[in-house]
Amino acid sequence: MNIPRKISWWQGGILMAGVILFTFSIFGADRPLGCSTAIPYISSELFGLEDYEYIDTIKESGAWELVMLSGTIVGGLFVSLFITKSFGFKAVPSLWREKKGPSVAKRFLWSFIGGFLIVLGARMAGGCTSGHMLSGIPQTAVSGLVFGGFTMLALCTLGYFFYRKGDK
Amino acid sequence: MFDLIGNTIDLVANQDNGSLLMVFGIGILFGVVIQWSRVDTFEKIGGFSMLKDFTLIKLVLMATGISAIGLYFMVDNELASYSAKPVVIGGLVIGGLLFGTGMALFGKCPGTGSISLAEGRVDVVVGIAGGLAGGIFYTLFFTDLKPIVGENLGKLQIVDLFEDGTLFILLFGAMLIGISFLIPNRELHYDKE
Repeated sequence: MNIPRKISWWQGGILMAGVILFTFSIFGADRPLGCSTAIPYISSELFGLEDYEYIDTIKESGAWELVMLSGTIVGGLFVSLFITKSFGFKAVPSLWREKKGPSVAKRFLWSFIGGFLIVLGARMAGGCTSGHMLSGIPQTAVSGLVFGGFTMLALCTLGYFFYRKGDK
Repeated sequence: MFDLIGNTIDLVANQDNGSLLMVFGIGILFGVVIQWSRVDTFEKIGGFSMLKDFTLIKLVLMATGISAIGLYFMVDNELASYSAKPVVIGGLVIGGLLFGTGMALFGKCPGTGSISLAEGRVDVVVGIAGGLAGGIFYTLFFTDLKPIVGENLGKLQIVDLFEDGTLFILLFGAMLIGISFLIPNRELHYDKE
């Protein structure tokens, strides 16, 4: 059988719905999908911040999400090696290079700032793409819809101004 | 480091949210779907911020539309339960704006980041370091940030407004799926991404 190197948006959407529903179900985890709580959880364990008020509230979710994320690394590695064949060490994405040039230092600087803002924002909102959007919107959760709307607004506004220069 | 692994395994084993193997398995499935549809790449996420690639938003709308309908009937038959996140206006608005800004710069979110890391993308390591710094910052200043996040207004769900939500959820799900088809099929193609 010939396995396609890439699936389309609707195939991915249908499979993703399967993962979301399975996770919610009593046969799966009986809870929503989530990713971003794992990050402050790792920070706290690595840097000894366990005594802070915030960490107490997130330990359980953080641990669950860390195990889940470890799974995504295995799944992602397997598919990138054998199916998409996209595995390879690379510091500057092609599209970034077109817009912002080949400088590795520049890409690293903005990646750091971006990573910082993502986790700070996700923690303020109490969730990220997986928790608020993939799991919140199917529940018609007001929190997920508000977060999704403002995320899209900032994403596309910044994208428009930040990457405009490189347009040919 | 060993503490982290040991504590994590204990914490998951003592929860009622699937065995360790089940949670890990869910992660594998999640990773496979995201990697295979390529939405972990900068080209798909950063490309969406430039409105040059709509794969991500179409996939998310399709997935949430189907899940909305499926989940409603699963909850109705006690095969799952709703667990909505609370509304905190400041946190959602400011957090959403910061999150979107970071996502446009980095071209990843927490889930797609780890999957992209598995693919060998080195810039993601730096982004994750930034994320860990963000996690420390939030933990240290949690009490100071609380007033900005705002008070908890409850776990509001639109579907609760209806005595019988069946018709609403069918329309809501169909609307999301409909929009996913209406958004133009715009996609960037890179051989090596």
